[in-house]
Amino acid sequence: MSAPVPPPPAPRSDQALYVGLAGIATTGFGLMFSPLKMVAFAWLVGVMFWTAITIGMLLLVLIHHIFDASWSTIIRRQYEHWLSAFKWLALLFLPLLVLSWMPRHSGLVWSWMDPATPLPGGHGTVGTDVLYVKKSAFLNLNLFTIATIAFFAVWVFLSCKLRKHSFAQDADGDAVWTLKNRWWAAAGIPLAALSLTFASILWVKSLEYHWFSTMYGVWFFSNCVRGALSMGVLMMLWLYHRGDYAGLLNRNHLHSIGQLVFAFTVFWGYVSFSQYFLIWNANIPEETFWYNLREQGDWYWVGMLILFGHFFVPFLYLLSYKHKVVHAWIRPIVIWVLALIFVDICYNILPAIKDARGDPLPFLSLTLLWSLTAVIGVGGICVWAYLRSFPTTKLIPIRDPRIAECLVYHESSHE
Amino acid sequence: MSAHPDSAAVGAPAVLAEVKPAVLPRPVLVANNRNYTWITDKICSLIEGPTPTWWWVCFIVAIFVASFTIAGLTYLVGTGVGVWGHRSPVNWAWDIVNFVFWIGIGHAGTLISAILCLLRQKWRTSINRAAEAMTIFAVACAGLFPLFHVGRVWMAWYLFPISNANAIWQNFRSPLEWDVFAVSTYGTVSVCFWYVGLIPDLAVLRDRFTLAGHNLRAWLYGLFAMGWRGSNRHWRNYEMAYLILAGISTPLVLSVHTIVSFDFAVSLLPGWHTTIFPPYFVAGAIFSGFGMVLTLMLPLRAIYHLEDLITQYHIDNICKITLATGTMVGYAYAMEFFIAWYGSNPYEGFAFINRAFGNYAWAYWIMITCNVITPQFFWFKAVRQNTTLVWVLSIFVNVGMWFERFVIIVTSLARDFLPSSWGYYSPSIVEIFTFFGTFGVFSTLFLLFIRFLPIMPMAEIKAVTQQADPHGGGDRH
Amino acid sequence: MSKAYGIIAAFDDTREIFQACEQVRDAGYTQWDALTPFPIHGLDRAMGLRRSKVPRLSLIGGIAGFCTGMALIWWTGAADFRLIVGGKPYFSPMFAFPISYELSILFTAFATILGMFFLNRLPMHYHPVLKQPQFARATSDRFFIVIEATDPKFDAARTRALLVQAGGKDIVEIEG
Repeated sequence: MSAPVPPPPAPRSDQALYVGLAGIATTGFGLMFSPLKMVAFAWLVGVMFWTAITIGMLLLVLIHHIFDASWSTIIRRQYEHWLSAFKWLALLFLPLLVLSWMPRHSGLVWSWMDPATPLPGGHGTVGTDVLYVKKSAFLNLNLFTIATIAFFAVWVFLSCKLRKHSFAQDADGDAVWTLKNRWWAAAGIPLAALSLTFASILWVKSLEYHWFSTMYGVWFFSNCVRGALSMGVLMMLWLYHRGDYAGLLNRNHLHSIGQLVFAFTVFWGYVSFSQYFLIWNANIPEETFWYNLREQGDWYWVGMLILFGHFFVPFLYLLSYKHKVVHAWIRPIVIWVLALIFVDICYNILPAIKDARGDPLPFLSLTLLWSLTAVIGVGGICVWAYLRSFPTTKLIPIRDPRIAECLVYHESSHE
Repeated sequence: MSAHPDSAAVGAPAVLAEVKPAVLPRPVLVANNRNYTWITDKICSLIEGPTPTWWWVCFIVAIFVASFTIAGLTYLVGTGVGVWGHRSPVNWAWDIVNFVFWIGIGHAGTLISAILCLLRQKWRTSINRAAEAMTIFAVACAGLFPLFHVGRVWMAWYLFPISNANAIWQNFRSPLEWDVFAVSTYGTVSVCFWYVGLIPDLAVLRDRFTLAGHNLRAWLYGLFAMGWRGSNRHWRNYEMAYLILAGISTPLVLSVHTIVSFDFAVSLLPGWHTTIFPPYFVAGAIFSGFGMVLTLMLPLRAIYHLEDLITQYHIDNICKITLATGTMVGYAYAMEFFIAWYGSNPYEGFAFINRAFGNYAWAYWIMITCNVITPQFFWFKAVRQNTTLVWVLSIFVNVGMWFERFVIIVTSLARDFLPSSWGYYSPSIVEIFTFFGTFGVFSTLFLLFIRFLPIMPMAEIKAVTQQADPHGGGDRH
Repeated sequence: MSKAYGIIAAFDDTREIFQACEQVRDAGYTQWDALTPFPIHGLDRAMGLRRSKVPRLSLIGGIAGFCTGMALIWWTGAADFRLIVGGKPYFSPMFAFPISYELSILFTAFATILGMFFLNRLPMHYHPVLKQPQFARATSDRFFIVIEATDPKFDAARTRALLVQAGGKDIVEIEG
């Protein structure tokens, strides 16, 4: 056996911070070209994209503990590092909250926040809209603020617990930390499920508050997990090629996570198809308008892109074993999936910006550009948070009860 | 400590030297370190031994109960479908409730054999065979109801796209037609999956009966064993086929209950048309199925002394899945209620208020109690370890899920848009007998199964014992 | 006396048969087999077997099923007998999807099972090893290696020596 290979030097985090700040600054710069409303929507896209992925990672850690899983031990530590981004995401959400409280701009993003917002087509204002009045017990600024704070509080709290217990185990190797995390996973899954559901309803679905769908929380959940798994694959490959994971990561780990990427592709397809299909089949105007709007202009092609790109392409691609385990094959598809999650989130958020006739503004516009810069900005901050946490612990949870099982994880391989 | 890197000739990273896992042993799946011979003998002895008295008693009772279904259906065919209690506006009632109920029970079998197989949950091996049998028998019971509800059952072949004298085709836009395909595919694939799993075990019985000189039985088991000889060249294809069947059964089981939910959700009826129905029905189906698995397996475990094969760990896991799916169902109830309010459709809002406080409120609260509150007891270890209590709770789950379908179907129909057409549905005695009898049909089939076929997959159980790992997972090396 | 089918050797646990398989593989035999009561992890590689071909057949079945469903619904609804029902189009992939989906699963299942039987050359109710009295334990608790006489490297004495060296017990020749 050759001599132990020392780990490569810890990655630098400041570059990610600069990228993040540059992205944020560029998005802010967008105010010179686009109205505040467009930039605010773009910012919402950026924050939602990374919040979804981070929630997904939280869920994956919780699910790992509840299943007493072994193979995912190798990636769990990276997720735990990433979870430190929640507090920054809360901070980055703050501008939207502040904007909502500014009397002049309230209602800019969530139109129901300002009773004076005119309804499209000259049908009065939000304040006189019976559909709003009926919902106002839920859709109001106070509840929105409290709920937003509560969601982030739940996520930050669960992340802190999971991180603390996992890191503490590195030091003393006590199995009780695993049991504690398992307990928190059991308690945390319902909490996380409820918070992500209502976050998706309040932050995204209520942008067009006339529309309703009971499936919405499940749709958001599927994107969260897909995003987290895709980022997980990218982190695995990055650490492998940097040298950290060399000798640790084997193709069965990739096969397992690849199967999950595949499974959640199917799950996303199932949820999205069911939602669309039931609305299509029943053909009730109060539901179909949401999709009708999204067949206007270039949004139709965005819908097609999502149908084929977010489902069929990854589905067919990931059927193959090779495409799940060969680095050069799995990397492009998870990047593609991440890109399509971005498109899917745009599809749910951006058509809420309407012109005077009530038609959505086109997808290909400056708003899309600012959405991209917002994604880069918020993403840079998340990556920075991850990289800052990265050197504070061991690369893998060395005292985890399942780590040995994970490292020799095999299905049919034998040396 | 050795790793299996992709590329050879990489030195071990330094962090490997520090790996020192905390000790938290995994629960063993076969208790008391039983060896292969014990497993074979134990499971085969249930078939080879003399028929126990209790089996005859149960069998006769089951046949007697099943006769209620036969009598009920005979009377229906002889008289007309009006002998059931359906009246406008409630034209779907117990028949569809029972259909969805039995189909849902079947789903746990597929879930255990397929989804848990894909998730590499090895504990499934002790219960999957019986659970798959449960699936098939439950689907058979389920199929009876819509089949006879068509009225003239001898015309049921009209459901399939076979050209007929009228030269028109089935309405493929109708979810009921999708149901025909979904349920018949489900039944067929379940039987295939079950049979493929049985092949190696049938070979075991063939060889044992050959040795014991029971030539007829050896011939019969041998006929269905297809000449299986445990060749590793065969195992390779067999395992791949089994994995693929598991892989396709997973989307199949999801799609079947999804399509069952479409029966309701594609309509415009308040309380039926809601987008969360597909996953909500699937979660409910899994929930009820696991309830039924507990109801069936706990007595079997006690009677046949299978404590070494169905350990406390297995029971814990089933209880936890029941808890998880029960809570998901609770989430869906809450989401439906919330969106009914949030959607601000007065009819939708009324449908839900009516469910909880209308003239079927008793059914609604039975449903909530059994489905949402009952499983919460499984949070507690003391409850999970009390087998009798678990069994009682599993009965509540079964009852609750029957009421869920009743609530969904009947309350929405009885109180539709026009108050002038409102009604109240009660089942007729024929309906009650027919449904009651299906428990006998199910039990008869299940008793035949446990008498004549290996109730656990021996090959799979052996493969998850510690001694089966050739790389020294066990303490023998 | 009929021609010999091959030589069979017994092994007592998974580790023994695993190592024996590696030796037989490395000795260059091709017409041989391991008989085990359950599938052993990694034994495929120890025997030098490639991944199974069943998935290819399954995929063909799945595609065939999906196309059958779509074609059936298109032909019956939009070609053979056009009838408006429920204000829906004559044909739409939306409502055709559930049935096409079920049929693709059904056909995949058939292709998988029949493909598995075909690739395994089953059913085969007569086989020389099935006549072997000690074989009965191969489905219960013992492990066997059979090297067939048709193997080009087969030589009664040398093959037997290899199996002895690999730790085989109760080595006997079986008749074809």
